Amino acid sequence: MSHFVNMEVFSNYQKYIDNEQELRENIRIVVREIEHLAKEATIQLQVIHCDLTKIDAACSSARKQIEACAEKYQKLAALVPPGQYYRYSDHWTYITQRLIFLIALVIYLEAGFLVTRETAAEMLGLKTKHSDGFHLDIEDYLLGILLLASELSRFATNSVTMGDYERPLNISHFIGDLNTGFRLLNMKNDGLRKRFDALKYDVKKIEEVVYDVSIRGLSNSAESKEQPKVESAE
Amino acid sequence: MPKNPGYRNNNNGPRKRQAQLDEQNPVVQAFRSYATELDAKHDRHERIIKLSRDITIESKRIIFFLHSIDSRKQNKAKVLEEAQQRLNKLIEVNFRAIALELRNQDVYQFRAAYSPGLQEFIEAYTYMEYLCNEDNGENSKSISDWSALQLIMQYEVEAEKEKPVQDVGDSSMAGEEETAKAVEKFQFFVDPTEYILGVSDLTGELMRRCINSLGSGDTDTCMETCRALQQFYTGYISLNCQRARELWRKITTMRQSMLKAENVCYNVKVRGGEAAKCASFDQKPAEETDEGFF
Repeated sequence: MSHFVNMEVFSNYQKYIDNEQELRENIRIVVREIEHLAKEATIQLQVIHCDLTKIDAACSSARKQIEACAEKYQKLAALVPPGQYYRYSDHWTYITQRLIFLIALVIYLEAGFLVTRETAAEMLGLKTKHSDGFHLDIEDYLLGILLLASELSRFATNSVTMGDYERPLNISHFIGDLNTGFRLLNMKNDGLRKRFDALKYDVKKIEEVVYDVSIRGLSNSAESKEQPKVESAE
Repeated sequence: MPKNPGYRNNNNGPRKRQAQLDEQNPVVQAFRSYATELDAKHDRHERIIKLSRDITIESKRIIFFLHSIDSRKQNKAKVLEEAQQRLNKLIEVNFRAIALELRNQDVYQFRAAYSPGLQEFIEAYTYMEYLCNEDNGENSKSISDWSALQLIMQYEVEAEKEKPVQDVGDSSMAGEEETAKAVEKFQFFVDPTEYILGVSDLTGELMRRCINSLGSGDTDTCMETCRALQQFYTGYISLNCQRARELWRKITTMRQSMLKAENVCYNVKVRGGEAAKCASFDQKPAEETDEGFF
């Protein structure tokens, strides 16, 4: 009977988790490098809140950091064995969301539209489908986009402070679209849902800014743009 | 309003959207596809949870059934045979269904969905193995490890679904399809960590067997199970792993089980076989306070 408990099982398992630990260490090193680049980009983009003329410059330097991240993601992809993305994904989900946020912010500032998941993935050198390899998880993308909403509500306030009264309107339309988009999703009671619930506060904040601006007649287009919006609402 | 009927969806509130959704809006179009993808993922998750729950329930019943083995009733062979059959059925039907769901997926993505069922099954399976080998003395086989379990969770399916549906009407394709009916192999992936966690629950069952045997006056079994428990405990504390809070909790429970079993053996030794029957009554409450599974 004493043969039933096989100690080899435990030594084999120890080897198994030692390998896993080692891989996790290596992943952590790369993730830390990505975090560093993302932080740089975040700092560079802070300038949009105090100097509107520097937006273009901030975007292009942030783009450089993001490009550098793509290389690091290649490293990660090489580390993670195929089919085991979700075994280790907890290491990089947070930073990927931050990067999606940064990409979405840059694209919004440059072009004024919402970055698609495909474009965002491409900029980080990631696939969009899990079957194609190291990919951008859909929830990470969506969570990153939600981070953008709160940054834009801050940007709306600050652009008014800096005397740009048109921008809040544009932001308001953009966030409105975003809100509509998120309402199409069937949420489970998870992290995505929680953060989505916070989106309405960002929407509210931006609407307040638009209200303040239009009621005082600070914006020329405020009235002309509000008009068709009211019509379509009826 | 074009909204998919979803579970626990707070979006379906009484508030009616005043404007029609602008389907040409690129954001709306993009989010429609995201919604489809998220739904597919959540649905698969839910389906696996359901399958896993069935496995958990049946495994718990099998364990309970295995506890009905009593040296006074001489029912061991019969119970073991039936338990074996029921476990095989779980492998052939339930695990196969989960494996089908996980085919071409990242198994770790849905780990939380199937892990309770898998752990409970491993507990039942290894307990059955333990009971089978109990009387074989020196010739007894040792416990199956995860690779052995992996070997019994191999499945085959005729790869007929590979052909797209639109080919059905095409008669020229029919012959080709028959030859292409290759057997596709797939498996249910047994994660070593899940295995280790499942086996750690086995020790709770061993403790129960130890105490029940005392009740039926089978003191040899008490000693045997206690020894097995001690060996398991040694094995588990030899493991050195960070980030494993779940395992640590289970090892703590295991220690409690082992202490109970050791106390039983102490009583057997000190009071002798006759007094052991009385001692069993002392142990009864303890048995109820600790559930060996989570």
